[in-house]
Amino acid sequence: MEVVSNAIEVHDLVKLFGRARALDGLELSVSAGEVHGFLGPNGAGKSTTIRVLLGLLRADGGTTTVFGLDPWRDATAIHRRLAYVPGDVSVWPNLSGGETIDLLLRMRDLDPRATRRDELLQRFEFDPTKKGRAYSKGNRQKVALVAAFAAPTDLLVLDEPTSGLDPLMEQVFNECLAERKAEGTTVLLSSHILSEVERLADRVTIIRRGRTVESGTLTELRHLRRNRVRAEVSGPLPDLTDLAGVHDVEVDGRVVSASVDPVGLPLLLKALDAAGVVSLTSAPPTLEELFLDAYRSTGG
Amino acid sequence: MRGVTDRLRGTGLLLRFALRRDRVLVPVWVLLLTATVVASAAATGPLYATAGERVAAAEALNASPAIVALYGPILDTTSLGELSMTKMTVLYAVFVAFMSVVVVRRHTRVEEETGRAELVGATAVGADAPVAAALLEAALASLLVGTLAAVGNIACGLPAMGSVLFGASWAGIGHVGAGIAVLSAQLSSSARTVGFIASAVVGVLYVLRAIGDTSASWLSWLTPFGWGTQLSAWSEPRAWLLVGYPVLALVLTAAGLALRRRRDLGAGVLPDRPGPARGAPRLGDALALVWRQQRTGLAGWTVGIGAIGIAMGSIVPGIGDLLDTDRTRPIIEAMGGVGGLQDSLVFALASVVAVVITCFGIGAVTRAAGDEHDGRTETVLATATSRAAVLVAVASAALLGSTWLLLVSGAATAVGRGDGVGAVGAALVQAPAVWVVLAVALLLLSVRSRWAVAGWAVLAACVTLGQVGAGLELPDWVLGLSPFHHVPKYPAEAFAWTPELLMTALTALVLGVAWTRYRSRDIG
Repeated sequence: MEVVSNAIEVHDLVKLFGRARALDGLELSVSAGEVHGFLGPNGAGKSTTIRVLLGLLRADGGTTTVFGLDPWRDATAIHRRLAYVPGDVSVWPNLSGGETIDLLLRMRDLDPRATRRDELLQRFEFDPTKKGRAYSKGNRQKVALVAAFAAPTDLLVLDEPTSGLDPLMEQVFNECLAERKAEGTTVLLSSHILSEVERLADRVTIIRRGRTVESGTLTELRHLRRNRVRAEVSGPLPDLTDLAGVHDVEVDGRVVSASVDPVGLPLLLKALDAAGVVSLTSAPPTLEELFLDAYRSTGG
Repeated sequence: MRGVTDRLRGTGLLLRFALRRDRVLVPVWVLLLTATVVASAAATGPLYATAGERVAAAEALNASPAIVALYGPILDTTSLGELSMTKMTVLYAVFVAFMSVVVVRRHTRVEEETGRAELVGATAVGADAPVAAALLEAALASLLVGTLAAVGNIACGLPAMGSVLFGASWAGIGHVGAGIAVLSAQLSSSARTVGFIASAVVGVLYVLRAIGDTSASWLSWLTPFGWGTQLSAWSEPRAWLLVGYPVLALVLTAAGLALRRRRDLGAGVLPDRPGPARGAPRLGDALALVWRQQRTGLAGWTVGIGAIGIAMGSIVPGIGDLLDTDRTRPIIEAMGGVGGLQDSLVFALASVVAVVITCFGIGAVTRAAGDEHDGRTETVLATATSRAAVLVAVASAALLGSTWLLLVSGAATAVGRGDGVGAVGAALVQAPAVWVVLAVALLLLSVRSRWAVAGWAVLAACVTLGQVGAGLELPDWVLGLSPFHHVPKYPAEAFAWTPELLMTALTALVLGVAWTRYRSRDIG
């Protein structure tokens, strides 16, 4: 008998909206206990995949299991073991934030008084007495986050959970997520920003146009962490093309730019320093750049 | 002057945009109302060929307090125009007013609540432009429906002068509706509450007129719905009364705009009260959630339906004395004496109230569609809540809520009348018909959440069939498409189990189909 070790297993998933193929043979596998980054640009199919995983949408093809169960048939059994934070949280306009949080906890068969709800309200600096219609986007997000983090759960499904949060609150979110990770909770964290999931993700799946482009650990996807460095130098330009870990060198007058792996960074900096560096910027690659890379490497 | 032009900058653009958004809603509404006018005008003439028949018909209508309460009296019993427009003068004027309420609320408070007003307000559009565009659209729609009603009447051969005055009264009530809406829209930050306030104001003005027309006639002069009758468009008109509409509309609009300038975007004059920091233990599943959502609304409906029931019930016992004249006695005798007259009045009132109560149920269903559209249903279904629980919760709010209101209506009518079970029974026999309409609305929701709003069209179709179907001499099977057609005319006639049980079975069947659809479709 096969032991089910993966919390989420998606194979060749297809979802049609009319004629549009929202998901077109998507692959995703999330092992128990890992934090899995689910990356893709807007409209790539992240939310659609998550809705299929939650049994809200019916797949048109492929296989999907969560905890080894079929999300379409066994939705409630799966839902007892997970918490979900949608990307755009909508709350009931005439319920207070506190009422909504307690309602969502009770709907997961939890007693709010036995959870860490009050502590999280403080950490997120959230006023639970306002009516739903009065909350800003960030505050609506906090309603879902507090409800999700308040009690232990086997799986957290987070769909762009930090959209609308200010940097301070994003920090609180990251702390909460790190605590959960330490407790062994499986996390599916979707985002369109690589650096957002980089800190905590064990593995990453990148999708585009309903298809999986890349999947693996961050070490495996080393080229994902290649920074684009741009420098202006005062002296003569050294030849950078031979340096280990430095790629795609372009020269324009006194300005040189190159992609560099983390291992190649010290060498590059030494070379630039010798050339009398005047200014230097280093930026992580955008998702679009990654896709270009991924397409290049797969010949697609 | 410059300040005013600045504040109105972009009105034309927003008006065109609003008209584009309402390109289905407003034309359908206007055409439905025009169609009922034309159907009524075309059907009434041939139906009563001689003046004698017309007078007899008009006197029969005047003899029935239920009809006077609903439609207002016929002042000149010899007038063909007034007889043709009996239902349109007051009752359908309510739908004209509601058209404006819907349009104005939709483009003002709803926009503010969703945050779209902020998006528009941040552009180079004047601060008053959105509300001005909404009012202009309501004014245009009112003028259009008034003009088409007048033209339709003239085309059907009714006197031109009367047709124009009648059309003007419709246009006027449309403006008043816009005024009511723009004032209501300032009061609460909740679009739902605003809709409730505006509807309540329209309802109160209508009921005041009903009470005025049946007992204290001075009351009819105080409400714009009474003016439609008192205008006496068709003979010896009091044309000066038409001035009342724009004056009232301007006063309401000015008050609304004055309040609007004193408040922040998105805020209401009535303050938002803070809610509890913790949820009550009972608020823990889909059923409790739906009932919590409906709680305030249902309480308001209970009070309103109860008040209408008591007011209507109190008319019933007096009608024997009220109508005991030489002329009306034969009509009363033909209807089964004073007792029979009272019973048919009770049935007539109950059948109208049943339609109004159905609106509560359809509101509950469309609200569920809104929850799904906004993503709240998704949030609920991502917990351990099953789809069955969600659908049962919505269905219970619609079906049980409206059944409760029928019971309230019957009990209140009985209290107002000062006796018996007849009124309670008369209200409850309507229940299966109400359920059928609501089951169809739930089926629409279950097939696709966007379709739920068509539940209003289903109800409107049933009402239209009942109102104009008989006059147009439509075949029985067409009339029978409306479940209300099959309700036994209890207590005027004997109660019949067969149609009631069949309609209940049909409700169950439709709900069953709805469930099979709801469990197998995508959410969102």
